[in-house]
Amino acid sequence: MTKGVLLFCFDTPEFKYHKILEKCVALIRKNLKLQVTVVTNFDTYKHLKPLGFVNYKFIDPEMGNKKNGLEWRNVDRHMAYELSPYDTTLVMDIDYFTFTDNLRQFVDTKYDFLISKNAYDLTNRNSFDTRKNSMIDMVWATVFVFKKGNKAKRIFDMVKYVKQYYAYFMDLYRVRDRRFRNDYAFAIALEQANGMITYETLPITLPTLPPDCKVLKMDDEGIAWQYNDQINYTCDQDVHVLNKGMANV
Amino acid sequence: MDIGELKKQSDVSYDIAVAKRNALEKAHARLVMVYNEHIFLADPQTINLVKTLSEAHTSPFYMLDTNNNPVEISEPKEFLQILIKRNQEAISSYHQMSKTFEKRGD
Repeated sequence: MTKGVLLFCFDTPEFKYHKILEKCVALIRKNLKLQVTVVTNFDTYKHLKPLGFVNYKFIDPEMGNKKNGLEWRNVDRHMAYELSPYDTTLVMDIDYFTFTDNLRQFVDTKYDFLISKNAYDLTNRNSFDTRKNSMIDMVWATVFVFKKGNKAKRIFDMVKYVKQYYAYFMDLYRVRDRRFRNDYAFAIALEQANGMITYETLPITLPTLPPDCKVLKMDDEGIAWQYNDQINYTCDQDVHVLNKGMANV
Repeated sequence: MDIGELKKQSDVSYDIAVAKRNALEKAHARLVMVYNEHIFLADPQTINLVKTLSEAHTSPFYMLDTNNNPVEISEPKEFLQILIKRNQEAISSYHQMSKTFEKRGD
């Protein structure tokens, strides 16, 4: 049984995501000690510094999605099943930094597909209460684990179907956010594929820094950030950073 | 006390509240563990249940994981030791952090 981490990384004209990837891979290697495969394009790859033994899969990212008026290349997550070379895969956003080995154990479960429904705001403002934004629970496609087999394949096939008719499903589930979001594509697919009742989840809450927090410093142990005139620090705790300016830290 | 001092105290209180919440969440994250391909929380409820069943029931016994799926526990002593170790690792780390909050709040 092969196990590894799958990451997606595409630079945009505004953000050098490859800089974030470099930090992410170093922490995976240190704390999760799993093989890494990066899905990217050549334009991003040529800017990467040598990352040691990393597998690369080259694709042309699907364009057209935007966030705050800027290019947002996040639409290819539905291909994780086909792109992963592993039997069990941990898929992560590159802005999720693993300062612990907490995620490592989830590649050793019997479950075919696990994803988390919860995130919490590291600034203590409770800004990730997404329940009021749609008729169904949102999931966080930031981190999920799947084991290749019929069940996981069905879920990914359903994600592809939801993506194809995304506008319809947004209306059906009254999702406020009209941009394509993997979080809702996976939430809807899991709802549909599991008979609209319930599905198995990762019992973790993703520690998340909101976009209005500026990352001041990051090392092997943790992250320091500024929110308004307050500076805080956390160490030995995984962190999902939403402010992409951290590429330059 | 002037307003500047009050603002300073308020900022310190905010810092402590954020750090305390994050330390608690960190402890909760560490309580999540995988055993026998299933996910459990190394919390007091699980520890007490495993201890009670291991004393009052012949092994193997059965319990639910975090997704409410039944799991056969054939090595209760081993499982209990792992649960306790994980619980104390998480809570002792939180205890160390809380000492620093007390100092900052003085």
